[in-house]
Amino acid sequence: MIAVLALLAGVVLGVWLDPTVPAALQPYLPIAVVAALDAVFGGVRAKLDRIFDDKQFVVSFISNVLVAALIVYLGDQLGVGGQLSTGVVVVLGVRIFGNVAAIRRHLFRA
Amino acid sequence: MSAERGDGGRPARVYAPDFLTELFRNPLEPGYVAAAERKRRNPPPAWRTRSARSVSLVVLVLLGFLLAVAYRQTMEEEPGRSQARSGLVEQIKERERQTDELSARADQLREEVGRQRDAALSGSTAARLRDLEAGTGMGRVRGDGVVVRLADAPGDADAVTGTGAGPPQVLYTDLQGVANALWSAGAEAVAINGQRLTATSTIRSAGKAILVDFRPVTGPYEVAAIGPGSMKRRFEQSRIAALMREVADKTGLSFGVREADDLTLPAAPEPRLRYAEPPGSPSPSPSGDRSASPGPSGSGTSPSPSGGGR
Repeated sequence: MIAVLALLAGVVLGVWLDPTVPAALQPYLPIAVVAALDAVFGGVRAKLDRIFDDKQFVVSFISNVLVAALIVYLGDQLGVGGQLSTGVVVVLGVRIFGNVAAIRRHLFRA
Repeated sequence: MSAERGDGGRPARVYAPDFLTELFRNPLEPGYVAAAERKRRNPPPAWRTRSARSVSLVVLVLLGFLLAVAYRQTMEEEPGRSQARSGLVEQIKERERQTDELSARADQLREEVGRQRDAALSGSTAARLRDLEAGTGMGRVRGDGVVVRLADAPGDADAVTGTGAGPPQVLYTDLQGVANALWSAGAEAVAINGQRLTATSTIRSAGKAILVDFRPVTGPYEVAAIGPGSMKRRFEQSRIAALMREVADKTGLSFGVREADDLTLPAAPEPRLRYAEPPGSPSPSPSGDRSASPGPSGSGTSPSPSGGGR
């Protein structure tokens, strides 16, 4: 419950502050969001499995976002930024799917 | 390559299933399981749990922030793109308007030059010059002739997708063929949608647009020609006329030939000479000795498919 409130607070903060993203960071934003979503779904699943761990969640969130951004950055430097971002999105997408499927099994027993 | 050392402390190497299989089978962070295991074995102190909890709340706030920012960013980019597009369109329009203005001014000045020249030259020389100008397309001409009208077939449901073959369209080769047939039917001056053709004019396509002398023309296309009274008959007998009629029957293009009285065809823009130079003596203007007949005397650089009479 508190987690959802914190999430909402973040959204409100984002809307209220309305920060401008530096142009250099803009390509990494979508990737960062997908990586963050992966961490979140992983956390939710762990919560339902009753093995949620705060430290693990924090570390996985931060490292996911950073690694995803790093991979895309490297790809940009190597001239394969588009392909690498696709790769990152595919891998994270698969993980999100798997986690959501596990969550679904928990919630609906199906 | 050092030999494999069997020091007993190292566990035997285990090969995991390949990455993708692992990914699909077990998407959960293995860290959670490990952490749970650790916790079960020796529970952490309460202060540590509390601080970890607050940190993860901060991360959640950060996450919401990230989502909101990313959403706003995406929403902001979209109008930016269409704005850039409309800005470009506006620039194109503006430049086209400038071009029109400048070419109108050039026409004015050319007329002025012609008047001055007529005043300076003796009657017969001026008349000869005028004739040459009319023949080469450098001067405005008036007379009776024919107008050939070509238009694309009416579109059908193409506007939605904007792709696919679309309705049958007039091709640049059609315009070339018509222009050439008119020349060979005896035309003395030809213009496409008000663009006068000269010996070096080009009719080309760039993407879907047809360019006459590098200026785009759009349908319906009217090829106007001034020439003898027999021109219409001779044009009708030409191969391209027969071909276009057949195409029109089959595809729904429209193709028509009519006689027109008192056509006025504008002058072509002054050609830029890149290699030829007028000799210093009597010839009064470069266009004077360019080509007495609209023959294929094009400058070698640009192909002139619509070239002169055959």
